[in-house]
Amino acid sequence: MSDTPILSIRNLHAKVADEDIEILHGVDLELGKGEIHAIMGPNGSGKSTLAKLLAGHPGYEATDGTVHYKGEELLDQEPDERSLAGIFLAFQYPVEIPGVSIANFLRTALQAREGKDAELDLFEFQDALLDRMELLGMDPTFAERPVNDGFSGGEKKRNEILQMAMLRPELALMDETDSGLDIDALQVVADGVNKLHEENPDMTVLIITHYQRLLNYLKPHYVHVMVKGKIVRSGGPEVAEELESRGYEEFKTAQV
Amino acid sequence: MEGVTEHLNSDAVQALASGEPQWLQNRRMDAWASYERTPMPTTRLEEWRYTNLDRKLKLDTLEPLGWIERSFSKETAPDRLVAEMEADHESSGHLVELDGSVAHVDLDPALASKGVVFMSLRTAVTEHPELLEEYLATSALPAERGKFQALNAALWTDGILLYVPRGVQLEHPIRVSRWLSESGKALFSRTLIVAEEGSQVSYVDEILSDDLDVQSLVSSAVEVFAKDNAQVQYVSLQRMGRGPFHLSQQRTIAGKDSTLDTLNVNMGATTARLDLNAQLVGSGANSDMLGLCFGEGDQHFDHNTSQDHVAPHAYSDLLYKGALDGKARSVFRGIIKVHKGAQQTDAYQTNRNLLLSETARADSLPNLEIEADDVRCSHGATVGQLDQDHLFYLMSRGMSREVAERLVVIGFLGEVLSKLPLGGVVAKLSRAIEEKLHG
Repeated sequence: MSDTPILSIRNLHAKVADEDIEILHGVDLELGKGEIHAIMGPNGSGKSTLAKLLAGHPGYEATDGTVHYKGEELLDQEPDERSLAGIFLAFQYPVEIPGVSIANFLRTALQAREGKDAELDLFEFQDALLDRMELLGMDPTFAERPVNDGFSGGEKKRNEILQMAMLRPELALMDETDSGLDIDALQVVADGVNKLHEENPDMTVLIITHYQRLLNYLKPHYVHVMVKGKIVRSGGPEVAEELESRGYEEFKTAQV
Repeated sequence: MEGVTEHLNSDAVQALASGEPQWLQNRRMDAWASYERTPMPTTRLEEWRYTNLDRKLKLDTLEPLGWIERSFSKETAPDRLVAEMEADHESSGHLVELDGSVAHVDLDPALASKGVVFMSLRTAVTEHPELLEEYLATSALPAERGKFQALNAALWTDGILLYVPRGVQLEHPIRVSRWLSESGKALFSRTLIVAEEGSQVSYVDEILSDDLDVQSLVSSAVEVFAKDNAQVQYVSLQRMGRGPFHLSQQRTIAGKDSTLDTLNVNMGATTARLDLNAQLVGSGANSDMLGLCFGEGDQHFDHNTSQDHVAPHAYSDLLYKGALDGKARSVFRGIIKVHKGAQQTDAYQTNRNLLLSETARADSLPNLEIEADDVRCSHGATVGQLDQDHLFYLMSRGMSREVAERLVVIGFLGEVLSKLPLGGVVAKLSRAIEEKLHG
């Protein structure tokens, strides 16, 4: 691990914004530059809440603790500021935007990165888009389709990976990217993430998943187990294998 | 005699009719009589429940715009009109109407030699009386259909005739640009489109104006006939400034195996009312009916549509969408009417609204009236707010809230445009929506 972690979470408590239900009860986590981490946990453990909170979802609210990203306090930043600072959330349920093509959507997102005073070079954009699609083995016509409109589960997730490839994040949060995917689609998505990580080994990846199967394709350096809003076990890849054979039961009962 | 005023009266009709052929004089006078006997619609009528004419339309003060010999040149025409005309792609013909009088017409000579007729309605009175006698304010929009249909049939000053003979297909759209500059006036214009058997034509009407200090009424009566196997696309773009009351009354009559599609866009005017009746009279007829409105400030849009299935095996599909900001308000009232004997009808109706502010409002009243037993019909309506999850998704990609909202609106309205295969119109409207979003 490098000296300063890219993401440092200390004693994080969080709740649903409109309700008094605490979901995270003191999470501690450090991610070093270029590392691949996985957080595994049963349904309702709070792992997706953590991912959304890190990306700035307005439906969740931190009540205690701190999150530092590249040394800066993260929690008071707007979602767009976090994105511009290099955080990317691959959604579990990507939103459909009928009437806006993927290309137009990405162009708008990249224009935001240029700021108000600079104009995105459309030829460069087109080249970059084709290049990224080729890397991910996608048909160029994919970019002409309206964002997620009528997409299969696999297509939605591939679209997330394409966005990730175009936006080149420093910290990628993969929220249950494997949910609803068959094994072929899962492999395609995992291959994409692997390629992006090979290309940019400094990119940090946090995988949120219920199942071990994604981790057969995306090899994490570290695996954490989250149960009832806390991380109860951290270790190397062997933790995932333990979970695969024994399940979450012992963690649920042996909780702190 | 409600609605008879200092300026809107039988003298005004007489003045217009003098010198016209007898059949037309009679038609005007009959229409006026019908106007006089028809009560002014009030909010007690379901069809006018949400548009209070007492408050929205100051009929008493309006002076009808008379016909004036006008010419058109780009040098003297309003900048905005010229800019919009220049933004249009290639056309088969172009017509310009200024304050209710046609000032310019051109038509591809190759089409003219095939018998296509495209001219001002006033010219058509002498050059093609047989067409007007048969179709003008007769079977589609006769005076008896309602108070304002009667008023227009009595007081129209000019308008457009497009006639496409059997089997003739127009590669490019016919384009009509209309401009209103005068405050405190009433403008009555008619459009008559007759597409004979197996012909094909796209027609794009755009009406523009400056902002007006004092209300003007623009009354547009539109009659479209698609004969057997004809294909017609009718597009109306209402992008006037603030001030006017736009009243568009349209009837489309689709023959056997014809396609008669419409798009109605309302972005301008202070009050815009659309009455669209799509009648499917031939078996196998098809009508796609698209509409969108985008309102802000105190704009008020009222859409009143009917899908009238008279013949069996016909298909109609309506999609109207509205985005509303500020205190803007929209009403959608749509009915699918399947007559006895119209078996194997496929008819669908969807109205979706997106509210961009707490004070905007949309009312949606879809309705079905089915007298046949072997039909497929559905209707649906939604009124939604800007979705937090949508905004979060876009913002998590780095877009500011403002840009994200804009993209959601463009996407929302763009779905309607994506169903219309008319390149130039889609580009123009996308730009218009963006302009309005930027304020």
